[in-house]
Amino acid sequence: MSAAELTPADLDDQGRADLRRLILTLADTKRMLGIRYSDWLLGAPSIEAGIAASGMAQDEWGHARLLYALLKDLGEDPMPVEHDRAPEAYASCDALDAEAGDWADVVAFMAVVDAALTVLLEGFAEGAYGPAGARAGKMIAEEGFHRDMAAAWTRRLAAGSAEARARVAAACAAVLPRTLAWMAADDAAATRLADAGILPSADALLGRFAELHGPVLAAAGVDLPTPDRSDWDAERGRGPGHPGLEAVERARGDLNRELFVE
Amino acid sequence: MPVLDVGLPSHVSVHKSGGRDRWSEPLPSPPSDAAAAVWDCLREVLDPEIPVSLVDLGLIYAVEFDEGLARIDLTFTATACPCMEFIREDVTDRLEQESWVRGVELREVWDPPWTTDRITDQGRALLRTLGVGVA
Repeated sequence: MSAAELTPADLDDQGRADLRRLILTLADTKRMLGIRYSDWLLGAPSIEAGIAASGMAQDEWGHARLLYALLKDLGEDPMPVEHDRAPEAYASCDALDAEAGDWADVVAFMAVVDAALTVLLEGFAEGAYGPAGARAGKMIAEEGFHRDMAAAWTRRLAAGSAEARARVAAACAAVLPRTLAWMAADDAAATRLADAGILPSADALLGRFAELHGPVLAAAGVDLPTPDRSDWDAERGRGPGHPGLEAVERARGDLNRELFVE
Repeated sequence: MPVLDVGLPSHVSVHKSGGRDRWSEPLPSPPSDAAAAVWDCLREVLDPEIPVSLVDLGLIYAVEFDEGLARIDLTFTATACPCMEFIREDVTDRLEQESWVRGVELREVWDPPWTTDRITDQGRALLRTLGVGVA
């Protein structure tokens, strides 16, 4: 972690709005990724893989909770943000809008979306915003297991049958363009965050992703594409669309709202 | 026969740490070293999932005591630890047993991140007796 430099008091209204968007892109993606992992607790190719998916879902929701709590430093109550927003307000990575169709899709979520999410989180933690660095160390340590799981499964499927190799390659290729755009936003807000030292630049994030995860994806026959930034939604910091209502109802805890105890 | 309250908060409460039977009686008078006494209290609060104290697990990062207010910096073994609420309640309940504690403030900290390196020698010995090896 770098030395803490900026606090909320150092930011003007625009800076705080930019930071809020960044926090939501991270936290919402963690929350939705947890949902997508949880769908496969009993549908993975092995019991062990399902248990690992369970552990990763738990991690992602724990991380989301810590990230939403960063809003407190900006004077915002995280509770309504976590539990009251409509799907259209979610800033989660586009790739998670639809549920995984098979285990190859889940592996793509690990190898591409989770990987990109951690690159972005590490960039945030190493940047100038002190409260991020103070919270992210444990999250990043836990993500080391996710990275190992992603690499192991990507290589395993890539080395498997022609069908397995084709399906994991297609799944990764399908989510990469939008995920890279989400991770490496290059709009005005992202540029301001980079100028303030809160985030690396878009190019630096893409370079970091390629360095860390390019070799594993290459082993599956997947090249890194140009980010697809078409129809960019600058307000949310992601592409068009949103997760489905059913997934968001689960993310918000609608069914158990009256039983909420936290 | 006590009335069974099936309301959710009570349901949560009865599932808190199983270590309450090990809690000492409250001190009869205020201690001369209150911060040290707070540490002693925390040594009696066990992790809800394994009977080792929060102190021996290295989850307590700092203790301050000022004019009756105990401030505790604590962390958890994982960001999604399912026992966070139980641990918070147990710490608060244990300290509030003491007449010289007028308030408890818990501060959740994540820096430095918890690792097994923080487990004390006594904690490691206890874990070994429970069949849990720690490198």
